Amino acid sequence: MSEATTEAEAGVRRRIAEVERALGDPDDAANPVGFAALLSADERFEWPAEAERRLDAVGFGAEFVPAALGGRLARADVLARTLRPVFRRDVALGFGYGITSLFAASAVWAAGSRGQRTRLAELMRGGGRTAIVHHGLAHGNTMWRGELAARPDDHGFTLDGRKDDVVNAERARAFVVYARTGEERGAASHSVLLLEDNGTVRHRPRLLPRRLSTGMRGCRFAGLEFTDCRVPADALVGERGQGLELALRTFQLNRSLISSVLLGSADTVLRAAVRAAETDRERRPGGRRPAVLASAFADLLLCDAMATAVLRSLHLFPDSGHLGAAAVKYLVPDLVREDLEELGTVLGAAGYRRDGAQGAQGFLQKLLRDLPAAGLGHTGTAACQAVLVPQLPFLARRSWGVTQDPPDLLFAAQEPLSPFVWESLAVAGGQDHLVAALLGAVRRLRDGGGAPAGHGDDATRAALRTIAGTFVTELAELRERFRVVEPDGRGLGTSARWAALTDRYVLVAAAGAALGHWVRLDGTDPFLADPAWLVLALGRLAGRLGKRLPDPPPGCVQRVYGEAVARFRTGRAYDLHGAAPAGPGATAAGPGATADGHGRRGRTA
Amino acid sequence: MAERGSVAPPILMASPDGPWLRVRESVAFFGNAVVYANWQQWRSAVASGPELRSLLGNHDWQRFSALDKPEVRYRFAVSRMLMRHAASAALQVLPEAVELAYKPGGRPYLRGCDQIDVSLSHTLDLVVVGLNRLGRIGVDTELTRRRLRYSEVHRQMCTAAERRRLARLPESAQEAELLRTWTLKEAYTKALGQGMRMGFTQFGFGPGGRELQTPDGDAASYGEWSFGTFGLDLTGGPAPDDHYLVSIACQDTGHGGAEDTSVGSMLDEGFLGQVVDLLGRQEG
Repeated sequence: MSEATTEAEAGVRRRIAEVERALGDPDDAANPVGFAALLSADERFEWPAEAERRLDAVGFGAEFVPAALGGRLARADVLARTLRPVFRRDVALGFGYGITSLFAASAVWAAGSRGQRTRLAELMRGGGRTAIVHHGLAHGNTMWRGELAARPDDHGFTLDGRKDDVVNAERARAFVVYARTGEERGAASHSVLLLEDNGTVRHRPRLLPRRLSTGMRGCRFAGLEFTDCRVPADALVGERGQGLELALRTFQLNRSLISSVLLGSADTVLRAAVRAAETDRERRPGGRRPAVLASAFADLLLCDAMATAVLRSLHLFPDSGHLGAAAVKYLVPDLVREDLEELGTVLGAAGYRRDGAQGAQGFLQKLLRDLPAAGLGHTGTAACQAVLVPQLPFLARRSWGVTQDPPDLLFAAQEPLSPFVWESLAVAGGQDHLVAALLGAVRRLRDGGGAPAGHGDDATRAALRTIAGTFVTELAELRERFRVVEPDGRGLGTSARWAALTDRYVLVAAAGAALGHWVRLDGTDPFLADPAWLVLALGRLAGRLGKRLPDPPPGCVQRVYGEAVARFRTGRAYDLHGAAPAGPGATAAGPGATADGHGRRGRTA
Repeated sequence: MAERGSVAPPILMASPDGPWLRVRESVAFFGNAVVYANWQQWRSAVASGPELRSLLGNHDWQRFSALDKPEVRYRFAVSRMLMRHAASAALQVLPEAVELAYKPGGRPYLRGCDQIDVSLSHTLDLVVVGLNRLGRIGVDTELTRRRLRYSEVHRQMCTAAERRRLARLPESAQEAELLRTWTLKEAYTKALGQGMRMGFTQFGFGPGGRELQTPDGDAASYGEWSFGTFGLDLTGGPAPDDHYLVSIACQDTGHGGAEDTSVGSMLDEGFLGQVVDLLGRQEG
């Protein structure tokens, strides 16, 4: 690793540690922003104001402002990692604090005038909120239903209409509005307007009462009603009719980010489940719990590999990032939700606790409520399908088997990248780098490549080759199916068959990301270099394709479970970095716990 | 009067002819629909050979082919037909266009169409399918004549709070309440995709089987779960006198879901238009 990489990574870890320190030990019952306090605030539909104050104190708002505008945002993958300390404590805090401000501001970072960018950057660096008023989307939930119309006139635009469920509607100091400016349906129907709190907006929107929500109960959702609201002409962001293009462009970052930060939330539940299993081990040894915990851990690593590659692809392949972003958002919230449900069997009754007395155990039910709100459920998947479905026939013909194996930099999670540039993102076309990574990885495995030998046993490596092969077979079937489609995209949307094939494609792309990551490992981390986790995770993905595979070789589950326990004891994250959050009380270690106790047993290398 | 999010009463499907429109109405109005059939009555509608294979899809066809007893094969085929017909009504596509797949824990789902969650259960002649557009759903059935002795099973099946409540009841009421509790627990854990893997003493139900509770009897959800238990009678078949119990667990994740669940409208025209136009330009 070069000196520059080491230095960059050290800087990232310092910032993460700073955020962790600001929020303190979440397991400490006396911590006013610990799990107990956050669960109790959630119960009362109360916004965690103290946590917000602490984030303000470390200038967290700057994370969402591009470095070129005086903020800290330069790398998409680093932003995701910096947000995880927040999301591992509370999804509502993560959304309400800043991520929705970023979703709003992205259109301005992408296409705003110099003045708009400078003013919004200043507002957000200072901890101010920006709210987003979405346009109406097919199969939209309340956040995505209904929309505003902006009528162009002499002085600019007149806005009318009503939108329910706007996060931070009550306190945002700027609004980014996606409004209909054209009668026609289709590409140029919408425009983006930036409503600033500077006296230029007349007949301001009426704030409707707060609506209590099932998920993210602490977040303040409220409706906005615009009646004859006059907005100056220079409120327009970018060009007239550019709204949907800007949505498709900025959604790429949103989708990849959400997928990545939710892994931080899932980390908390896995940690609580490992704690429960370990505490209970004396009483009820063994059983199926190690397998459940190892599988969930393996899934999180696979998701992290995919999310990381996709976030980095926004820098490296801005012409193609839309594909991976749609795929990762389609898969990860769903996978995480199922893992949480499975972890519920380990947590048992403790998963329903609300008092936070058992650390984070009650976090399970809260996260199960928060997740559908964060991942948007079907509204979110349908929006991702709209991006993928019309493009897959093209990719099947032009890219699969043709596009080169991507460069190592795509997967090298600690390597610096050139700054993120919104303007460079395309919304269609490009190459399928995840499928290319799958085919590249399979070639490397066949030629004896992959992470350095000596980690994991021969049986596990052989199992990995077999599973990798099933995804190649699946890709070949998909290619045949998509090649016969006339790629004008029109009839595609109406068939459940194409939706099902797209679902299959996403599983193949995920396998490509994980395998692409693994074959490039240098062996620095012996646990990751052992393919045991990948065999477990890919085996589950293949199961979702309806493929029946032999059980993983003996020892796989035990090795992954061992690492899960070791990471629990040393307070290290359940992600590709496995770093310990520095700061007081960051480790969950109890008396007598050591890093190489029970956890390392069963390790073969 | 039942309202949105509450469990809709089951609808009988006497044959593959429906009434499927009622499924669409129930899903649109309540958010969920539960349909049931006497598989013996559907027997004649089960196709054979390539037609059945195409309807079942590869995965279920393999499972079907591995079954030995004709009874079991017919019931399997009818349960999948009922599922596909019900799903096709909600999605507004042909039954054979729906791909029924299974998650690693065994939970069925409609591949690529997550606007609807599904669940399936059968007992003797009865097949039941549940659909929900607001969140997870689980259904479970039992014969009402099934005897469950409280003294034999309460340790494995009941929480402390449930035992306090059930222990006071006379024997027949006790057994009836136990059966309802059992099917509710099956339905809820099926909704979570876990089945028996979730310990039945780790959560419980309050009086009337309406509220999810912790083992101590405290509320365990904030109302995102609704439950219902219905008695069903089947006519026809070899045992027309049998009565069945069906329990349903239905989740509402909030945010309203999409009232329109049809596949034809799910891809946003604006987004699709952008992507297709740009692709067209690159082609041109």
